[in-house]
Amino acid sequence: MTPLNRFEIHQPATITEASRMLLEHGEEGGCYAGGTELLLALRHRALQYQHLVDIKVIPGLNSIQAANDWIDIGAACTHRDIERSPLIREKLPVVAEMESHVANVRVRASGTIGGNLCFAEPHSDPATLLLALEAVVRTEGESGARELRVDELINGAYSNSLEPGELLTSIHIPVLLPVQRAAYVKYQIRERPALGLAVVLDTPDGGATISQARIAIGCLCPFPRRSAAAEEMLRGSREEVEALIPQAAEVLADDAELIDDNEGAADYKRHLLGVFLRRAVARALDGA
Amino acid sequence: MKRPGDFRIVNHSVPRADGVAKVTGRAMYTSDIELDGMTWAKVLRSPFAHARIVSIDTAAARQSPGVLDVITGTDLASLRPYYGHAVKDHPILAIDKVRFIGEPVAAVVAEDDLSAEEALQLIEVEYEELPSVMEVDASLAPEAPLIHDEAYTEGAFRGFKDGRQASGNVCQYVKVKWGDAAAAFASAAHVVENEFHFPMAYAYAMEAYVAIADYSKKGLTVYSSAQHPFMVRHDLADIFDLPLNAVRMIIPYVGGGYGSKSYTKIEPIAAVCSWRTGRPVKLRLSIDEAFLTTRGDDARVRIRTACDAEGKFLARQATIHLNTGAYAENSPLVCAKAANRIIGPYLIPNVDIDCYAVYTNTVPASSYRGFGSTQVTFPAESQNEELADLIGVDPFEFRMRNLAQRGEVIYPGLRPIDADVPGDLRQIESKFEEWGAVQEGRGRAVGCSASDAGSHPVTSAMIHVYSDGSVSVLSGATEIGQGSHTVLAQIAAEEMGVPMSKVRVVGGDTAITPFERSTGASRTTTLMGRAVLEACREAIAQLMSFAAEALGVAQSALIEECGGVRHGDTQWSWGEVIEKHFKHKDTSIIGRAYLRQTGDLKLMPPFWEIGVVGTEISVDQETGKIRLERLMTVGDVGLAINPAAAEGQDLGAATMGIGVGLFEELIYDGQQLTNGSLLEYRVPRFSDLAPDIHMTLAQNQDGSGPYGAKGGGEGSLNPIPACLANALYRATGARVRRLPLTPERVWRALQERPKV
Repeated sequence: MTPLNRFEIHQPATITEASRMLLEHGEEGGCYAGGTELLLALRHRALQYQHLVDIKVIPGLNSIQAANDWIDIGAACTHRDIERSPLIREKLPVVAEMESHVANVRVRASGTIGGNLCFAEPHSDPATLLLALEAVVRTEGESGARELRVDELINGAYSNSLEPGELLTSIHIPVLLPVQRAAYVKYQIRERPALGLAVVLDTPDGGATISQARIAIGCLCPFPRRSAAAEEMLRGSREEVEALIPQAAEVLADDAELIDDNEGAADYKRHLLGVFLRRAVARALDGA
Repeated sequence: MKRPGDFRIVNHSVPRADGVAKVTGRAMYTSDIELDGMTWAKVLRSPFAHARIVSIDTAAARQSPGVLDVITGTDLASLRPYYGHAVKDHPILAIDKVRFIGEPVAAVVAEDDLSAEEALQLIEVEYEELPSVMEVDASLAPEAPLIHDEAYTEGAFRGFKDGRQASGNVCQYVKVKWGDAAAAFASAAHVVENEFHFPMAYAYAMEAYVAIADYSKKGLTVYSSAQHPFMVRHDLADIFDLPLNAVRMIIPYVGGGYGSKSYTKIEPIAAVCSWRTGRPVKLRLSIDEAFLTTRGDDARVRIRTACDAEGKFLARQATIHLNTGAYAENSPLVCAKAANRIIGPYLIPNVDIDCYAVYTNTVPASSYRGFGSTQVTFPAESQNEELADLIGVDPFEFRMRNLAQRGEVIYPGLRPIDADVPGDLRQIESKFEEWGAVQEGRGRAVGCSASDAGSHPVTSAMIHVYSDGSVSVLSGATEIGQGSHTVLAQIAAEEMGVPMSKVRVVGGDTAITPFERSTGASRTTTLMGRAVLEACREAIAQLMSFAAEALGVAQSALIEECGGVRHGDTQWSWGEVIEKHFKHKDTSIIGRAYLRQTGDLKLMPPFWEIGVVGTEISVDQETGKIRLERLMTVGDVGLAINPAAAEGQDLGAATMGIGVGLFEELIYDGQQLTNGSLLEYRVPRFSDLAPDIHMTLAQNQDGSGPYGAKGGGEGSLNPIPACLANALYRATGARVRRLPLTPERVWRALQERPKV
């Protein structure tokens, strides 16, 4: 097995201290928030940090709380914490369901939601769903606290918009309204999904009509994205919406800048988008 | 011969001897071993598919902290630096040029693995790139660059004598021919002709390659994850010009092989590192490096089959091209096996097969479970099904008309078929009837194969019988996870009349155990099992004469009983006989047996390994994703020494067939392997297993092994990919002739299928 490079691990007591450590080590330092992606990258020398700041030990970063119509998930919560949280299961079952199918149980037991989002691996399940749920991430850094949308945080493959020394501290998800239905579907052959697709549909009449739709796609593009044009198509009676799904999928596919790679040729991915958009809408409305 | 029901221990699913140690993490693997003064080696690998090495500057690496030595090909001039059991074409470290991306170019030895790894980055190699050939056609083109431009010596174990031809980039050419195929095709009622592709696959094992070498004036000791320790010993003795008794191979538990651990792999690198530094050296590869060490041959098969109006085979003609990669490894043997295993368990009167193993600038190919059979059973059984459809005969019926009966010869000069293949097939047929009509969207298919298995019947075994009644079996077979140490103990316990707890199998050390050619080709139960049985009988013959002497009676007056001997009212256990013979405590006797290619083992192969499987799949017609819903295997093993272990082998083999049938494929983009890691290369998971699995054993005691046993472990792999492709055709009407049956490939085939 390839050994990891030599590095020093730092365990800050507070976010402020963590921030200071990251600033001190600059390019040579990185956050350690679970390691499921980081250690792979270090072993392959894709990253060569000499200092790792272990943010999991900071008190308070792994809590899950409800506040009004929002759920607050600490950045250091593991996928397993979220999957098993009674609060998430009750208030945001679509998130618990998605988390229960992230990678495998070993990854879920050590990988964290914050690490997942910040690492911005293009095959992230949480990022796609959180984008459709219009979650907000909270950060803290030298210049104070910020709130960002998921697509503001993730701005490319393996790329985020955090400033030097800035840390993601929590993920803030609005609880679904009684009229909202959500589903996350994915298509996976290998270790990582080839396609992730989330829908959040507003239906005032139990699924007969859709007044608003949010669609996010991931995995087959460098970072998760939504399409206003596609979302606009999925409004109207269920019949109208279902008739327009193929066209909406084409719009999503155009936006995604699909490429041929080992996960499939672009035309196959385009086809899959249509299949899974229909399946996601059906699952959201029918629960199956 | 004892029949099922007569046995005390054999033919019972006794618990595995290594089970508790393995599930509690106490089993010792090579990785667990640390020697006093042990150092670590790391390997620098070529970034070019084909290049001349202009210079290597190791000065900076040598100055790196903790580094003891940096070794390159030029440091090996005083040795025989090329090895290979078939063709001695493989340099321990690249000499003058590199032939694939990932080829070891230099080795660093350091006090710890990290220091060795860091020093690798300080080695400067200047390369002059050469034109490369990545595929068979490019390699065979007239203007193709020669991958090997020097003449190599023949290895000691090429594996066969006939049809050996090689030139240019052809590593091996084998022709199999009988009858007059051309004439038969000319007058045949039905002919089908197609081209098939079998993927480049990696025989993934959880344990990657690991070796510890310790070279001293006394000789060379190597601990390794090797499957064939005596074959590795041969290469090492040759490299260092050492006598056989100065090379000691110690094999702890091995974490799986599936072909990937056969023959010599990284042992020579570890050995030269120890030879140079005078320290024990551990070399442990990552899985990613294992992907760059060996793989299975990918194959293109152009095949033509003819039958008469009644559906009886008339002729088969095939041209098989194997992409063998940069070095021969075991591919010459795979080439020979692919050429003859394309026949299957059928009677085909006219045959004309050409098989070429072709060098390319890719990772060297070698053994892959099934040795060529997996590659050719896919085209053969796909085409058989197409012929059956063409003449409108049910797939079972078509096969029945052509299967060899027991005692019939499918391949002139080889052993007649030693199995009831039609009977095996009928078991699948009745299971299909039990399953009833096939649901809409599903498909069901049967498949079979026959492999000349067992390899050369050269082996030996030794047993110690102690005066307290305990028994040790000394066997050179490797416990690679297949359960051989349990099976061999069962045979000794059965024969010596003692419980399993009194039998110990001592293996994995060439300084202690007698010779065993190899642990592969499904041979261990048949050949080593038979040697153990014969060693027990030889010990008992000695004990009978000792008992006669001690009692002062003729040996004919004694009655052999389970576990000892009786004369009138006197009853002695074997332990008592030994103690009375030596008149001393704690004594023991030695029983031994040698097997050679003689007597009933004169005809090759030692046995035929039959594969008979049935599958039912469902297809997601929107995504093209196939799911295996039902699986049935018939393990035609003569007699299962341990039925649970035999079924485990069948399930494992079938699962490997699911892997290469549905997912597994190494993909090159130009010169670069793009998916050489477990993140990108999809091996089967538990969730891929069929929800409904039926494993049956055919126990007709018709093998050449102990109690009529025959080997298993490869048979249930070989027909699986064809069976999946045929089931896909039944489900959807789409015929796919390229593996694996990935969803995208299936989806395209569904788009392109003829509209009904």
